[in-house]
Amino acid sequence: MSINQIKVAEKVEVLYVDDEPDHLFGFKASFRLGYQIFTAENIPQALVCLDDHPNIRVVFCDQRMPGKTGIDFFEEIRVSYPLPIRIMLTAYTDVESIIDAINKGNIFRFVQKPWIEADIIGAIEEANKFYLANSMLFIKIIELQKAYDELNKFAYSVSHDIKGPLSGILGAINLANEIDDIAEMKEMLSLMKKSVIKLDAYVLSMHDYYSLQRGELKITEIDFKKLIDELKSIYSILSKVNGVTFDISISQDGIFRSDYAILSLIFNNLLSNAFKYQDRNSKNKSVEMIIEVAKTVVTIYVKDTGIGILGSHIGEIFNLFYRSNSLEVGSGFGLYNVKSALIKLNGQIAVHSILHQGTTFKVTIPSI
Amino acid sequence: MNMEFSFIIIDDSELDCYVTQKFLERSAKDLAIQTFQNAQNALEIIRESTAGNNLVPTIILLDLQMPFMNGVDFIEEFEKFPAEVQKNYRITILTVLTPANNPADIYRIRTYKTVNNIIEKPLTKEKLIPLLIQA
Repeated sequence: MSINQIKVAEKVEVLYVDDEPDHLFGFKASFRLGYQIFTAENIPQALVCLDDHPNIRVVFCDQRMPGKTGIDFFEEIRVSYPLPIRIMLTAYTDVESIIDAINKGNIFRFVQKPWIEADIIGAIEEANKFYLANSMLFIKIIELQKAYDELNKFAYSVSHDIKGPLSGILGAINLANEIDDIAEMKEMLSLMKKSVIKLDAYVLSMHDYYSLQRGELKITEIDFKKLIDELKSIYSILSKVNGVTFDISISQDGIFRSDYAILSLIFNNLLSNAFKYQDRNSKNKSVEMIIEVAKTVVTIYVKDTGIGILGSHIGEIFNLFYRSNSLEVGSGFGLYNVKSALIKLNGQIAVHSILHQGTTFKVTIPSI
Repeated sequence: MNMEFSFIIIDDSELDCYVTQKFLERSAKDLAIQTFQNAQNALEIIRESTAGNNLVPTIILLDLQMPFMNGVDFIEEFEKFPAEVQKNYRITILTVLTPANNPADIYRIRTYKTVNNIIEKPLTKEKLIPLLIQA
């Protein structure tokens, strides 16, 4: 019963169940142009049909049939196939069966035989609207569930990643009352500063996370030269301070359209990781970024000579709040945000890593 | 106070390691203190220390929420060590308590036989006193 495939443009699928072949034939003849009509002469056939065609949205059924009645049928599929909208189509109109149809069969409409075409069309259209509304609601519920799950992770992480550094700083302040030595005090202040910077970065990436979840795309023509100049101005400082050689190369052939802010977020996260996870003891530290725009696709490589990622962790690095490394620099947001950003831009990411040698991320993004 | 003991601090935060170490140094002189930002490394050192004969009783100050190997993982691994190794160590949990910490988790931590104390961060001089007396 997947409802991911709601295709509004296609004909609405309708099932009609009646034991009189003439009625089935007439129904199909009258409505097959506007709708995809399936028919069944009895209830077992109807159940097979519902099973074979999960996109059936409206089910008409006659009340009087050999074996089970229409009400019995509706009562049954109400549980086993809850999505299709149920409509009773019958000449049989005693109050008792109308009440049962409503209460037991939970029907949406009651249409009398012989039918008037406009009534049937009206019923299908209304039922379809109802079906769509229900399906959207179902999708929203799934989305909400996902949002709640993330909120739970959030609450946990926020309490650790914000309260953790804060309590560290508070501890340091408590300690400061005991310290008289200026050099020692300065050493501690520089450690405190690191904690504050980490908190600050955490708040920034939390903001990225939020805008990726809720924001709309702003599509413009992308000037990669401008983007690269921005990246160079940020990372050339890091490169000097940490003794990491840094190269960016670009080849652009064709116009590329995308969301500048989101692209920038992807590039920044991958680059800052490449610098962050360098091997402190290594002599030859480097970060290399290659951007190739060919026709309507951009391919980006970010290569580092860092500590690498353990093979068994690779599958998890894109998860929210996952941290593969015990270095305390990670917030667990970065690659999750990259993944969310790529989903928004229809992009893909692949990672190749060798422990203690380095990691290469390959990102491909189509022009929009 | 008997000074014949040492400390191992395990905390992924560099600042927290530093603060804890300094507080300890201020509380008593000539303490042997080792700090680890990675629980796995601490575990290796403890494992290797079994070779030595004259072991000093050691208090492990352990953070709970750490990436890669967290505090509970550490305790589980530590309790697999031979009894003669374990008896040289006492674990004190030194952690942030937040609403996200399930009270049941804290209770569960207390059920580990090698854990005998929980101290809540942020650290103060006073909070360390019972630890030093007990040692």
